[in-house]
Amino acid sequence: MTFVVTDACIKCKYMDCVEVCPVDCFYEGENMLVIDPDICIDCGVCEPECPAEAIKPDTESGLERWLTLNAEYAKKWPNIVQKGEPPADAKEHDGEMGKFEKYFSEQPGSDDDASKSGAA
Amino acid sequence: MTEANASRSERRAQIVQKIIDKTGVDEAMIREVVHDFYAKVRLDALIGPIFARVIGEDWDKHLAKMSDFWSSVMLMSGRYKGNPMMAHMRLKTVQPVHFERWLELFRRSAVETCPPEAAVAFVMRADDIARSLQLGMFFRAGTEAEAVPDLRVVR
Repeated sequence: MTFVVTDACIKCKYMDCVEVCPVDCFYEGENMLVIDPDICIDCGVCEPECPAEAIKPDTESGLERWLTLNAEYAKKWPNIVQKGEPPADAKEHDGEMGKFEKYFSEQPGSDDDASKSGAA
Repeated sequence: MTEANASRSERRAQIVQKIIDKTGVDEAMIREVVHDFYAKVRLDALIGPIFARVIGEDWDKHLAKMSDFWSSVMLMSGRYKGNPMMAHMRLKTVQPVHFERWLELFRRSAVETCPPEAAVAFVMRADDIARSLQLGMFFRAGTEAEAVPDLRVVR
């Protein structure tokens, strides 16, 4: 059992979860984060923390596809341990449905993102 | 700090305040549970020796680390950063029976040192984490996951 990041994260990517996760199990794509199910210890701290309500326990039904996606991209994307600046248009995409089909990017998030240089 | 970040730290403060209002958990209580629990662990014939081997004489450091861990889990403080899954996977002699004892002692410490609402909150988190660690240690990459005994207490 683990927690998984779902559709609601895409294009919102608030990253508050990164600050509270005790085990640094978030990985960063260009426009969403995923959780490494092999590292997550199911402490549940990130779930209420997500403003987009994108993080769910994998015991909820219908999340198999998201569990697979989290496991896959946790191995491909870089580990994120410090919260960066969310996208400027994050709020506009908050609550939007079907974001995976419209926007999902396989590209990794970049470690040297200028927005993470301490602007926060 | 940007406005959006400021409003979100406020949001986190509200979430934490809700937890405190509901359970009464605070840093002092976390420290007490952790210290009481590991005092029990050290005296326990089944799991005491395992901890003795891994911790050695460095108990002060371990108690501080575990207080940070439980502060991060109970009060979202972000004080602990580590990889407990990997730390446990390295322990080749640890079996499910050791987790059962760990949880039994933890429940006793929580009940003995905390008001009931706080004890329930501690035990719920401990049950979930213990279950997750066991899935990683004993049932990884298999379909046997279903066979993991549900060690969670009735909530």
